[in-house]
Amino acid sequence: MPGVAFLLVALAIAFSVFASGFASLPNLLNIGVQSSILLLLALPMTFIIMTEGLDLSMGAVLGLTGVVLASVLVAGSGLVVALTVALSVGLAFGIANGLLVVNLGLPPFVATLGTLGIAQGIALAMTNGESVVGIGPVLPRLYASTWLGIPFSIAVATLVYALFHFLLYYTRFGNYVFAIGGNREALVLAGVPASAYHVAVYALAGLMGGFAALLLTGRMNSGHPIAAMGMEFDAIAAVIAGGTERQRGNGWLPGTVLGVLTVGVLRNGLNVLAMSSSLQVASIGLLLITALLIDSLRRRRS
Amino acid sequence: MTTPLLEMRNISKGFPGVQALKDVSLAVHGGEVHMLVGQNGAGKSTLMKVLCGAYRPDQGEFLLNGSPVHIHSTRDAQRLGVAVIFQEFSLVPFLDIAQNIFLGREFPGRLPGTVDRNRMHVEARRILRQLGMDLDTRTRVHQLGVAQQQMVEIAKALSQNAKVLVMDEPTAAISDREIERLFEIIHRLRKDGIAIIYISHRMREVFEIGDRITVLRDGANVASMYPSETTLEELVRLMVGREVDTTYRARFCTAPGETILEVRDLFTKTGVRGANLTLRAGEIVGLAGLVGAGRTELARAIFGADGKTRGEIRLKDRLLKGNPADAVRHGIGLVPENRKTQGLALLRSVHDNMLAAGLARMFPKRWYSFPAAKRAVQALIKQLNVVTPSARRPVRLLSGGNQQKVVIGKWLNAGSQFFIFDEPTRGIDVGAKAEIYKLMDSLVQQGAAVLVISSELPELVAVCDRAYVLRDKAIVGELARKDLTEENILRMAMQHG
Repeated sequence: MPGVAFLLVALAIAFSVFASGFASLPNLLNIGVQSSILLLLALPMTFIIMTEGLDLSMGAVLGLTGVVLASVLVAGSGLVVALTVALSVGLAFGIANGLLVVNLGLPPFVATLGTLGIAQGIALAMTNGESVVGIGPVLPRLYASTWLGIPFSIAVATLVYALFHFLLYYTRFGNYVFAIGGNREALVLAGVPASAYHVAVYALAGLMGGFAALLLTGRMNSGHPIAAMGMEFDAIAAVIAGGTERQRGNGWLPGTVLGVLTVGVLRNGLNVLAMSSSLQVASIGLLLITALLIDSLRRRRS
Repeated sequence: MTTPLLEMRNISKGFPGVQALKDVSLAVHGGEVHMLVGQNGAGKSTLMKVLCGAYRPDQGEFLLNGSPVHIHSTRDAQRLGVAVIFQEFSLVPFLDIAQNIFLGREFPGRLPGTVDRNRMHVEARRILRQLGMDLDTRTRVHQLGVAQQQMVEIAKALSQNAKVLVMDEPTAAISDREIERLFEIIHRLRKDGIAIIYISHRMREVFEIGDRITVLRDGANVASMYPSETTLEELVRLMVGREVDTTYRARFCTAPGETILEVRDLFTKTGVRGANLTLRAGEIVGLAGLVGAGRTELARAIFGADGKTRGEIRLKDRLLKGNPADAVRHGIGLVPENRKTQGLALLRSVHDNMLAAGLARMFPKRWYSFPAAKRAVQALIKQLNVVTPSARRPVRLLSGGNQQKVVIGKWLNAGSQFFIFDEPTRGIDVGAKAEIYKLMDSLVQQGAAVLVISSELPELVAVCDRAYVLRDKAIVGELARKDLTEENILRMAMQHG
């Protein structure tokens, strides 16, 4: 168990005691709903970090695809068309990141910082920094629906998790994700086109950015260019706190869920306690450090 | 004589500045353990890289069962049944044993893109049983010890139907019990008709499991023979086989001065066991041993870069605290093995690098004086004969030999009286080598003491007044000038395997 598991339990207990209303069913579901978008980003981020990479552009790409999705809906197209366009834009950014990092050899930090700027700039230019409203009733209705009593976004996130779990642990692609981070040379020597798989890891992240736009736009009932700004920070924190290492290709997908839930619980609990959102960012930084500190102390003891 | 399973004929391979292989031929038969021996730099590893397709030879041919074949890539080698197990394993730490054995050759599952995990585990278990191993194939390899990882590598090779298996110093990092186990497996493979090329530095192994021995020296075949036809003495002579040039030193030290460094009963966290050594003013002393014998570990501990667990280090009778800052203050200078990352700030100028360690000594009042610094640097450049158009030139643009001189200058300026040279002439051309040796000589003429670590035996023999020989992280002997020969060093460094 990574240290974040203990933190999650500790935080849950502390908030239940000190923040009245935290431990109610509606609020817990609320945490789930709030966490689902983050999970959609954190899952592909896990793959990227396993391959010794980083994707800083995820929040910005999500913001841009959200605006794109909303604009297409406003223009009168159906949800399927709008989602397809959003997915394509996300995929294009993902592939661009992958090519820059894998084929052109740019450090992931630099490459994705660049695409972050591009995505955010386009989103702001498209909207003049304002919300895109009037997306029609279909998406909001879908978002508000429940499946067997489970809110739409939680159901979607669960489904996507199952898909990623299957992908990482039961497919050839998953094996190669472990291998790219763990011993790329061995993979190349085995005759596998490692670069293609490596690009695919980034492409998948872009695609998920586009897909997460569905939930973001549904929740906000509009598209907003900077709605997801900085979300990559939460995603990276959740992945690292969840026990995924930047070296050796060590990734643990259930840990990412724990990390995401911990971030979700922390944000929600602090909201209930009425802490300002700036201080929430600070506490997520603190959370990341604490989780890793617990891990490193336990490693040293064993 | 039957046709060899694999034959390499007249292989030559050159790199800029060196001819790594000259007309090397090697023939291995099925069911034979062929020992490949030679000093560091004799060309063993290059030959194996050629064999596995990682390097392309400039000349030469391969024959498999008597018919010519091409090996242009690692894929070709695999297809022909050649598998190489390098010391750096090609395993993925967080995949399990079965996934590693079949990496890149996974059995497809029912859905496209999926993997038939059950079949992989069944197959992996079968191969491991064949090797007499009973490992849980679901264990991730990062949880395995080195010996077990080696078994997984062997299993991986066998799963590719390897007929020729190359092992590069397979016993370098495993315990005696595990070595017994490895030898059992080698016997088993031999019985199955697999040809094994086994690179080793350990003479005991050569005679224990070798069916045939080939000696390489300076990139060329020296001899091939059966173990029964030769002796350890003869092998060592064949590996060394050349006269030594001893013209680098004006004269060797006959009357050393006061004690400069004294190490008593030193044990370190990095595994050095009970080292005792003394260096006196005017002496150049060698630290010899095979790769992994603990030379660098010992030197780093003396410098205070790695912690000690017991013992004491004294420099001119003052007890060192065991950290680099203290070592530098008391006058130790380390000329590290990798000057580009550990010895120099590559982008900075000759001026900056030469001053890097001695600022505190030069300017005890803490006020920096540019004219004084410039004078000091100019004096050093002249003293060391550094070839550079100006002191402002980034050291990145200097030749290897001149870079090394800058590192030495840095320590001279810091007032060092005891110098540790770790592989001082690696990657330096012959002319610059001689100059570095002369520099060492002039350092000791001025009353300093020098400790030299080197893998190149001729170098140690050429410049040292004495040498300590290490094996398995302990000092196993000391050779005085009159006994200091490559043969003697090798014999001490390799005994008991």
